[in-house]
Amino acid sequence: MWEQIRSNQIRSIVLVAMIAGLLLLLGYVLGAAFLGSGIGGLAIALVIWAILNLVAYFQGDSILLSMSRARKISRDDNPRLYNVVEEMKIASGLEKMPDIYIIDDPALNAFATGRDPNRASVAITSGLLQKLNRDELQGVIAHEISHIKNRDVLLMSLCSILLGTIVILAWYASRIMIYGGMRGGRRGGRGGGGGQVVIIVVAIVLMIIAPILAQLIYFAISRRREYLADASGALYTRYPEGLASALEKIAASTAQLKSANKATAPMYIINPFRSEGRAASDWTSTHPPISERIRILRSMAGGASLTDYDKSYQQFHRSGKGVIPASALGVVSVMAVTPEPEALAGEADKIERARETSDMLWKFSEHRLVNCECGTKLRVPPEFKSDTIQCPHCGRTNPVPPRHK
Amino acid sequence: MECPACKGVMVVAEFQKIELDHCTRCLGVWFDAGELELLAERLARDGAVLTMDEIMALPAEEVVEKARRCPICGEKMLKVGLGSQPRVLVDVCPRRDGIWFDHGELSQVIAQTRTTQPAGATEAKPTRMIRFLGEAFEAEG
Repeated sequence: MWEQIRSNQIRSIVLVAMIAGLLLLLGYVLGAAFLGSGIGGLAIALVIWAILNLVAYFQGDSILLSMSRARKISRDDNPRLYNVVEEMKIASGLEKMPDIYIIDDPALNAFATGRDPNRASVAITSGLLQKLNRDELQGVIAHEISHIKNRDVLLMSLCSILLGTIVILAWYASRIMIYGGMRGGRRGGRGGGGGQVVIIVVAIVLMIIAPILAQLIYFAISRRREYLADASGALYTRYPEGLASALEKIAASTAQLKSANKATAPMYIINPFRSEGRAASDWTSTHPPISERIRILRSMAGGASLTDYDKSYQQFHRSGKGVIPASALGVVSVMAVTPEPEALAGEADKIERARETSDMLWKFSEHRLVNCECGTKLRVPPEFKSDTIQCPHCGRTNPVPPRHK
Repeated sequence: MECPACKGVMVVAEFQKIELDHCTRCLGVWFDAGELELLAERLARDGAVLTMDEIMALPAEEVVEKARRCPICGEKMLKVGLGSQPRVLVDVCPRRDGIWFDHGELSQVIAQTRTTQPAGATEAKPTRMIRFLGEAFEAEG
């Protein structure tokens, strides 16, 4: 595992360096074209990048979680979910228990975030919690935990900040060019010669292609990471079918995640924005197609090791190249487990799961509970002003407990 | 959640482990798609039940009645006829978030299922779900 992380890091550093190089080049050329000083442009680019980085490092995860309207839960709020996360924390060898967040949304999705493995969070939607059985939930949580374990979360945020800086620079440069173009032109004339014109042309070209190029590199990094997290997810649970069947359920759901946006999209277990044209989106998508991920997991042939995943991946792609770093592949084979039927019998059924999840959400949204004698439970929202409520089932009038401040 | 008909306060009534949203002012009922699915699964064991897909497959009708907006996604809901003689027009979210029954509509359909229920006959599809609603809202019957 250590080698795997190391090799990931080297590959990532190269890719991140490419984006960073792009940023420096853009800064320099824009500076040369518009300020008359390449070094000045470089400095401005670096300052913007540094500020964004500091903000993201110290506040990134909390900004992200609040943007997704996620709510932190404790063991008592949902023991089932808490236990699954705890199991996967142990299976992955993570040192610290990640914080668990719930997003109140019927869409099925999940993501992991955090600065490093000691300060990380997993967030899942309430829809996911309702729809998945224990094996499937375990698969999804294992996938997310491996993002934390493989240190994907920090890397992805670093990449998105680099990308963000490039986009900001290109955007402002284009504004300056459109609104302040005259001044730049005069100075160009004074500074003398064709050299300046060439620099401006280069600047314009870079302004257009740098964001696109950076985005493509970013997507490439994130796609590869999804395969890796799937592979580690299968390894931690020793049950590839759990994640495969979870992905199948997620793919079948039509609900779109309301709180996702472009910046947060690569973090989720599947792309929260469904695009129909799959072939065209291959280059520009942050996630491999789900059908492919499911097929790779299903054809692991009874094994659950990274090697098994890699073989299955190669079979699927016929390219002879795997996705798992070669240094991680020496591991002895790990057999997948077959779940015992008894384990399934004790499973809370779908209705129980739905009630467990919605009870938790009602508590969060400060609904007061009225238990009518006829067995009907009424959940009264904070906006309800009257002291009594009539049961719609039996017609009894029940007192509403007072709101506690 | 706000009542799509009168903007009144909705309370959630949990009856036999199924949640329904109920407006305290106009007494309309919102049936969430997820809850409908749960109910369908439970009732499917002893026979057919109307699912969201089947309701969506029913033709939407052009009527003068004002279109209501889905309390979840805000889209204009479609009017769909349920039951028979007379058909009851319920509102269905085009994005499959759920179904809305106005107060009168619910008791109408409930009354229908009570009268048109010959002993031993297999139930028409919509009635199982409606019967559940009838049981849940006994007081209105």
